[in-house]
Amino acid sequence: KKPIKPVTAADDRPWGPIALFAAVGLLAAAVIGFGVYAAARSDDEVTAADIRGLTNYRETRPELVTAGDHKPGPIAYDVRPPVGGPHNALWQNCVGEVYAAPVASEHVVHSMEHGAVWITYRPDLPPDQVDTLAAKVRNRDRMILSPFPGLDAPISMQAWGYQLTLDDAGDERVNQFIKAFRIKAAVENAPCAEGVTTTGTTPVDLPTGG
Amino acid sequence: MTDSTATAPSADTAPPAAAHPWWRGTAGLALMVVLGLLLGAGGAWLTHRLRTPGDDSPEAGFARDMLNHHAQAVEMGLVAYRGSGDAEVRSGAVDIVMTQLTEAGMLQAWLRDWDVPPTSTDPPMSWLPAGKRHLTPDGRMPGMADAQELDRLRTASGRARDVLFLQLMIRHHLGGTHMIAAILDSTDEPEVRRAATAMRDVQSAEVKNMTALLTRLGGAPLPSS
Repeated sequence: KKPIKPVTAADDRPWGPIALFAAVGLLAAAVIGFGVYAAARSDDEVTAADIRGLTNYRETRPELVTAGDHKPGPIAYDVRPPVGGPHNALWQNCVGEVYAAPVASEHVVHSMEHGAVWITYRPDLPPDQVDTLAAKVRNRDRMILSPFPGLDAPISMQAWGYQLTLDDAGDERVNQFIKAFRIKAAVENAPCAEGVTTTGTTPVDLPTGG
Repeated sequence: MTDSTATAPSADTAPPAAAHPWWRGTAGLALMVVLGLLLGAGGAWLTHRLRTPGDDSPEAGFARDMLNHHAQAVEMGLVAYRGSGDAEVRSGAVDIVMTQLTEAGMLQAWLRDWDVPPTSTDPPMSWLPAGKRHLTPDGRMPGMADAQELDRLRTASGRARDVLFLQLMIRHHLGGTHMIAAILDSTDEPEVRRAATAMRDVQSAEVKNMTALLTRLGGAPLPSS
């Protein structure tokens, strides 16, 4: 007898499962593709690694960035301007202060422990550049600008454990530094109020005996 | 004698010994389950990433700007708390300070959760269209005091300090109300809406209370700018 060939709908291809797998595969590729793209595009976050020329004291001098001891009186810092270490019990007020005269490092180091970015400039920096920096500081909590006599570079930016020297206030790294470290570099995350509001490089000590 | 019609299937018509193609068997099923799970996970990640506010979003802009706005309220409140002789002013001031410090922590947590930095180097209120920012003439957020006003607050004493604090804080809250209204107009994020609504309610009550207190102390609110 002639063998009976099984009847098939079209030809031998299993179109249903092929279509299913193709759809699933396409969807998978889209998800994976977007994942790779999203991970690879430059993140919203700016990190220390992104900032060219940054000195990362957290790596080279980790002892500076464990929460600092409170010490009265002048403190000799070997990093100038300092980026961490022992500091006065009082911080420098840094709710967007633009100081016209130098301030005590012993106070500002404490401000940086709270997450402030300290922008210092050599007193001979052209006024329009000082204005450019001041506009980034004014009315912004955790920002402080002050002149620093004896700076080698025209501008030096500090945060707790980080330093960047710059030649020009128009450098895009000014914004990168602020974005990377303001608040994020804090050890004690707190707004900058109730600090010393006066200038002068001699720290103001709390009265002894409470 | 008749032929038996019930014949055993011959080798020609018998199906092949391997009954199913591999993708219909256990291996294929397992693979599809795994693929389905991976796709589900990928979809969930993607959905989260696509749905949390980004760096340019009004939600991130509001959170960053409000962090700064709150920092000044905390500063003024602490100055008043420290230097006031009036018990109701002291109490009102520290109430504002503690509320806004708590809210600041929440705002920072949102930004971390959304994976966006707490800082934008754009001017304040950039998350609103140009005509709607209500900045002060020298570019401060609505209601913010300037450096001279803060100095005057710090150096004032007695009743003059209380009156100045209440005037500045009422104006500060009214500026904040504008920012809150703007974000409520711009977002569907349930948590942002919840918090902004709470801020609005608390601050409008505080404005009423502070205005009554200011009147008791013989002062009047600053003219609206």
